Amino acid sequence: MGKLDILRVDFGKFSLQNPIMTASGTYGYTDEFDAFLEVKNLGAIVTKGITLEPRPGNEGRRIFECHGGMINRIGLENVGIEAFIDKKLPKLQEKGINFVLNIAGKSVDDYVNLAKICNTNDIKAIEVNVSCPNVKSGCLEFGTDEKCLYDLVSKIREAYNGFLIIKLTPNVTSIENLALAVQNAGADCISAINTVKGLGVELNFNGVKVSKSFVQGGLSGKCIKPVALSMVKRIKDTVNLPVIGLGGISNLKDMLEFIAVGADAVQIGTENFTTPNIAEKLVDELTEFITIQGFRDFNHLKEELRK
Amino acid sequence: MKKNLKGQILNIEEIAKDTVKLQFSTPLENILPGQFVSILIPGKTLRRPFSIAGFVKSPKGSAITVLFKLKGEGTNYLKNLKTGDDIDYLAPLGNSFTLPKKDEKALLIGAGIGIAPMLYLKKVLNENSVENFLITGFKNEKEVIEGSDSTVIGGSVIDSIQDLINKFKPQILYSCGPKIVLQLVCDIAKKNGLKAEIAMEKVMACGIGVCRGCVIKLKDENGVKNASVCADGPIFQGTEVIWEN
Repeated sequence: MGKLDILRVDFGKFSLQNPIMTASGTYGYTDEFDAFLEVKNLGAIVTKGITLEPRPGNEGRRIFECHGGMINRIGLENVGIEAFIDKKLPKLQEKGINFVLNIAGKSVDDYVNLAKICNTNDIKAIEVNVSCPNVKSGCLEFGTDEKCLYDLVSKIREAYNGFLIIKLTPNVTSIENLALAVQNAGADCISAINTVKGLGVELNFNGVKVSKSFVQGGLSGKCIKPVALSMVKRIKDTVNLPVIGLGGISNLKDMLEFIAVGADAVQIGTENFTTPNIAEKLVDELTEFITIQGFRDFNHLKEELRK
Repeated sequence: MKKNLKGQILNIEEIAKDTVKLQFSTPLENILPGQFVSILIPGKTLRRPFSIAGFVKSPKGSAITVLFKLKGEGTNYLKNLKTGDDIDYLAPLGNSFTLPKKDEKALLIGAGIGIAPMLYLKKVLNENSVENFLITGFKNEKEVIEGSDSTVIGGSVIDSIQDLINKFKPQILYSCGPKIVLQLVCDIAKKNGLKAEIAMEKVMACGIGVCRGCVIKLKDENGVKNASVCADGPIFQGTEVIWEN
């Protein structure tokens, strides 16, 4: 068995040469991280979230660093599906980079149209963002209401034959009901979690004069790991779908924790900014760990972690 | 091509009030004026971007110099490092200043710590035999950073620019400093029919253009377009920036 084979994750319609993916919004569209590692050596990258039309994103400050993480309110700035298909897709194909296309919309029609375009263009896997906390109309609603979510996922399912991943938000009361809605609507996989709603507050004093700025957006990074682990476990305890875990993973130990609570693969997000080659480093470390500990392969490690 | 590199601190010293000069080794063979580095702060999520204030190429080993004001946890961590300590950084990042033609003259305007990229630009202009003049402004005597042809202390550096343009007759203005200074430099350039290139600053996350955290607005044929300060910038033409409040 080759070095790469022992890490293989097979989802049926879609497979990964290893369980390490990179999260949407942290890795660009294609090979932007080639300066720091071989992107094609990763399990898959998830593209920046793509909408039907290009979007300029939010006005004003978009980034706020906090203890153990950061808050962002980018607002889905992206090139739009047409430019992605024309300019980015050929590059991914040419370089042999395994990828998942992340899509987001404002209405059911938006999502269905995006799904159709992905189907026509033979995109093997899509991740549906039903949970972006930074876009006002629609989006977050789908991810927090199980009926809306069921309807949405059903319609996307009808339009798209490839591997369908639904990315869930942690900003809900019952993640279980949402996970069930996704499963019942016929999706293939759940990824969790998207960012946690958070507020950054900055105060500046000049004598008695105070100036303040608020950054309301999505919290990510190490500080959200316990929330993510809890959500992944609750989802896995409820549904039979494969789960891709993400939220605050920055080292091998974090990754193993996610596998232990039910993740079948993981995504690295914010840590890509801190350590640009982290994803490839984790592939190497996981391979070494499996070999040194004496596991047969990743599946064997997963089985033992789940006992 | 940008890389994630490790270097050792060759020199670290406080050169003015709350102002530190940090020099570290690098394997890089070339850095363009206006480019920046992004330094890892252990325990912090985001790297800290710093303009390159100096680059010395030597067969024994090259060195990058950055200058920074003590502002928060990141800069205070760096301040306490010692000669020989490791630095983990991404470089070279961003675009660079366009160098003028040899018969053109350049006026460089730095405000406060904004002197940093001006110092390296001045060095490169000198090496290319481009006549130049660097004027900088500082709040008070204690904060003055050396290396300018003229220094304004207390007042605004902007007040001296029109006189300097009249006397020195530059074809291009370069500037780095607070937004208000950059905006005024662009206004003066426009009034005098001169080119202006400015170095912008914004809180960054990735430093390489993927996260879209540090975008500003530029004029475009279709109206407005976004540009990331980290990858499309940090250097922009004075005429293309749309100033936001």
